[in-house]
Amino acid sequence: MKIRDLEKLENEGAETLPSEERRKFLRFGLAVTGVFLGGSVLSLTSVRDAKSYMGEMPSDAEKWPYKPHYSMVIIQNRCIDCERCMEACKQTNHVPSYGFRTKVYEQIRDIGNGKHERVFMPALCNHCNRPPCVRVCPTTATYKDKTNGIVMMDYKRCIGCKTCMAACPYNARYFKEENRAIDKCNFCFDTRLSKGETLTACAAACPAGVRNFGDISDTNSNVYQLVHRPDKVVWVLRPETGAMPNVFYTND
Amino acid sequence: MNCTKHGFKKILSVALAGAFLLALGQTTRAAEKPYDEDTYGPAKPIVFAKPVKGVVFTHKIHTMDAGLACDSCHSGLFEMAAGTAEQNPDFTMKSLYEGKYCGACHDGSMAFSSKTRCTACHAGVHGYNKLMGAAPAGEGHGGH
Repeated sequence: MKIRDLEKLENEGAETLPSEERRKFLRFGLAVTGVFLGGSVLSLTSVRDAKSYMGEMPSDAEKWPYKPHYSMVIIQNRCIDCERCMEACKQTNHVPSYGFRTKVYEQIRDIGNGKHERVFMPALCNHCNRPPCVRVCPTTATYKDKTNGIVMMDYKRCIGCKTCMAACPYNARYFKEENRAIDKCNFCFDTRLSKGETLTACAAACPAGVRNFGDISDTNSNVYQLVHRPDKVVWVLRPETGAMPNVFYTND
Repeated sequence: MNCTKHGFKKILSVALAGAFLLALGQTTRAAEKPYDEDTYGPAKPIVFAKPVKGVVFTHKIHTMDAGLACDSCHSGLFEMAAGTAEQNPDFTMKSLYEGKYCGACHDGSMAFSSKTRCTACHAGVHGYNKLMGAAPAGEGHGGH
């Protein structure tokens, strides 16, 4: 099939494509041209004039996309695990020493010939479009903000049952003894964004440009640009859960 | 009878030769092993903590393996005393890109560029804690 004909085809979406098949496609080196707004990799054909494919609105979402639709794009291979993001987060959001709102995971990857490579992976709440934590909360203490889609916590309503901790595919929650409630990342909404700052504390503290934060519904934003680089693969963590995360990963 | 005796001798000689070669191999391998700190620099890795934690430098890779001499780096790029460079305010990636410190070689032509393969040298806080034998911070289980 010619590329011009391919371009005319309607995008079927990624949910019908098994992940194994998707991986095979990616191995062929075909450019990823579209990304769900807060979803998974979509189009795998090399469509030259494609800008983006916003995908279907999740059927159970109240509003989508949000305005602003906050998102973080993590350029993973820039991360050097200096953990300034974690320090800044703890200071800004009064996270106790035993807790965390974001983490940097380490992986030692076998690259053949007996050699190994270090990979660091920052992780935080993915502020999913279809958040499993919100779905399971018995008291609606955790909810998706109607304006910006941030997954928020209402500490007063939280009964500390930890069901959300179990439901979260990203291990992004912890029990805060001081509040007797679950605490989690809220993209620094109360501490920074609502006070006019444009970046989260972690994004502002990162010396290597790993954490890129912005409004992905704005086509001129850095995050939108980063997930639409046709020569780069973009992925999300645990797409099979159907949570449709708003934190994307890519490499330089 | 004669034939078997001859065969036995042959086997014995082969076995002896094998044992000798094996022993020789071991001695040569053993001869390769010792790392001479006077020739190649301290065996212990240098771990920088400034400006970011957990940047690891190993003398062996650069001297014994890559064949660099001490004066390739000392004292033009780095002072002999470990930890001197990290006291300098210009000990940054930007300086490396400008050809200072590690960047004198790690420029993409002599050795891999300091703008690439970040984690080849950056072991991070995870690596720092492992090398220093410290318990990772913030990994308490008080909340569970």
